[in-house]
Amino acid sequence: METVERLKSEFSSSLTSLPSTNANETLLLLSENEALKKLVKSISTEFDILFTLLVVDRPPEAFELNYVFSRYRDSALLTIRVNLNHDKPVIDSIAKILPSAEWEEREAYDLFGIKFRGHPDLRRILLQDDWPGRPLRKDFVVTDEIRNWTGLDLKF
Amino acid sequence: MINEEPNADEFSYPGLGEVMFMKAENFINSVLSWGRSRSLWPLTFGTKCCAMEMIPFGATKVDADRTGTLFVGDSPRQADLILCSGTISKKMVRRLLSAYEQMASPKYVIAVGACNISGGLFHDSYNSIEGIDRIIPVDVYIPGCPPRPEMFMDAVLALQKLIRENKEQGH
Amino acid sequence: MKDSTQNKITINIGPVHPSTHGVLRFIVDISEDTIVKVDPEIGYVHRGVEKMAEMKNYNSFMPVADKLDYIAALNWEVLYADVIEKALNVSITPRTVYIRTIMCEIQRIMSHLLFLAHVGEDLGNTTLFMWGFRERELLMDVVEEVSGGRLAPMYMSIGGVYYDLTLSFGRRLLEVLDTIEHKVKNEYKAISYQNDAFRLRTVGVGVMSKEFGISHGLTGPNIRASGVKRDLRKDSPYLAYDKVDFEVITENDGDAYARFMVRINEILESIKILRQAIKEIPSGETKVKVPWFFKIPPKYTFVRHETPRGEAAMYLVTNGDLKPYRLKIRAPSFYAIQAIKDLLVGNKVADLVTILGSLDPVPGEIDR
Repeated sequence: METVERLKSEFSSSLTSLPSTNANETLLLLSENEALKKLVKSISTEFDILFTLLVVDRPPEAFELNYVFSRYRDSALLTIRVNLNHDKPVIDSIAKILPSAEWEEREAYDLFGIKFRGHPDLRRILLQDDWPGRPLRKDFVVTDEIRNWTGLDLKF
Repeated sequence: MINEEPNADEFSYPGLGEVMFMKAENFINSVLSWGRSRSLWPLTFGTKCCAMEMIPFGATKVDADRTGTLFVGDSPRQADLILCSGTISKKMVRRLLSAYEQMASPKYVIAVGACNISGGLFHDSYNSIEGIDRIIPVDVYIPGCPPRPEMFMDAVLALQKLIRENKEQGH
Repeated sequence: MKDSTQNKITINIGPVHPSTHGVLRFIVDISEDTIVKVDPEIGYVHRGVEKMAEMKNYNSFMPVADKLDYIAALNWEVLYADVIEKALNVSITPRTVYIRTIMCEIQRIMSHLLFLAHVGEDLGNTTLFMWGFRERELLMDVVEEVSGGRLAPMYMSIGGVYYDLTLSFGRRLLEVLDTIEHKVKNEYKAISYQNDAFRLRTVGVGVMSKEFGISHGLTGPNIRASGVKRDLRKDSPYLAYDKVDFEVITENDGDAYARFMVRINEILESIKILRQAIKEIPSGETKVKVPWFFKIPPKYTFVRHETPRGEAAMYLVTNGDLKPYRLKIRAPSFYAIQAIKDLLVGNKVADLVTILGSLDPVPGEIDR
């Protein structure tokens, strides 16, 4: 793909190709987190939407963020993989470049606690504000206490 | 409350007037509960799959209107009955409670589907309530995942019978 | 609440509202009946499905996948079965491919009929509501004959389907399709798309441009109504879609009426696909033997399908265990509701229900 060649020449040192197990998918690993915004800006001329944002919790080392980009004219996919520090998961938001990323980032914040710098509206999205914990992290275990918690002051 | 039994100590020997009054009260009660049972206006508190089967219950094939169950209100203030269906999440449970509190007495609850009865398929999820009878009193349970529309009809008929016999949980 | 300087009123709609298509909540700022700002709030049926996937073995998750989108359960079952089979490197038999195609298309017709019924209800057209459900019941009976379930059939298994088609299935399905085609072409025309009252309420309402739809990630019938010719069944064919002949339906206006028309015409296209599939279905086995408990080596598997609401995808991460390490579910309605916050601005508050209904969101898959 010519996009990949262009990106590689632009971000030569920080971008490496990885073999992908899926058809039509190009997988690139970005080692320099600060370059993400610039990279997405460069991608957005070719790829229209953030198709999905897959976050994988790999304790104790890292949160692995897979940005899957897609385009409407053919079924090609481009995945950018970024690794975040597990203790301090912070990365730049791309919601202002691609509007389709706004709620995906809110969801990652809600369920994993990843902070996105410069996000226009970073609030919890699926769970209520007083919900204890980040449920999709691997260290979150669904206990009876969590299952019985209702957030209500009820007397039986 | 109209249905309250008189205290055993006070209930010594009623005079003729009192007997007449009690019979009239029983008669009026039975007429009232007959009337109530035949005009159950439900609040459709549907959240998920079961709500999709609740709609055919009101639509052509099963036709809830035959039992006087009219889907007209859709406001807690006008409803006698909550048809509570689908998974109740922790975010939703406050809404359920506030809807229940807004309803005028007497009010009845039908719990629809496995998720509503015990958490069902989602019993081990971190965000679902394992049974709404932890939150509000329930009169009739409909099992199934999701139940067929005919079962809604069965439940409404069962609730009508309970109301006529004054055995309902409703407050 | 009233703001005297800007004459702005904040109103709350939902979460349980007769026309929010399930439980969605909108906090809407209006100024003289025009919507200034919308804040959609979702998560009222969030069940933590992605966490449940990590807690169950691969086969046990199937009933949960079935209830993700309860209006198009079979499509999601096929998607989940497909992602596991791809990760396992299992290829299904030719007959299963056709059975799954047939089931997906039956589900698509059912979903679109439900959409027509709901739009009818939202616009006060109760007859359309009743008729939509009447025709949907016919297909429900066909699905029930094969799988034993109506709404959540639990029909797909990993490696095939649980039961083969019944002997009378083809004949019965063709009869039902004839009825539906006749009704959609003749009866629905008079009451919906050629009816003046219906057109006045939908034409020019909630116009979505091509660029807006693309930048917000909308897929499926919603983007096809804005003139983007994009359908995964054609663009990257899966199942038997490369062996059947059908058209990708597009409209150019991008309003609520166009979104309605796309779905009406897709019903007719699905009927076309079903007739061909019934004719060409091969005989043979319907199952590949896959054990109940199995392990998948560490890998990333991505599969996307065209469900009635758009492009749905599952991204499976495995680590050689009996359970998935992570399963990410991409729901098309999630993006439709995200787009609605910009789409509604500038419209009248009375059109909110029409625009929301025309995007056909399902909270089950939005919240997961």
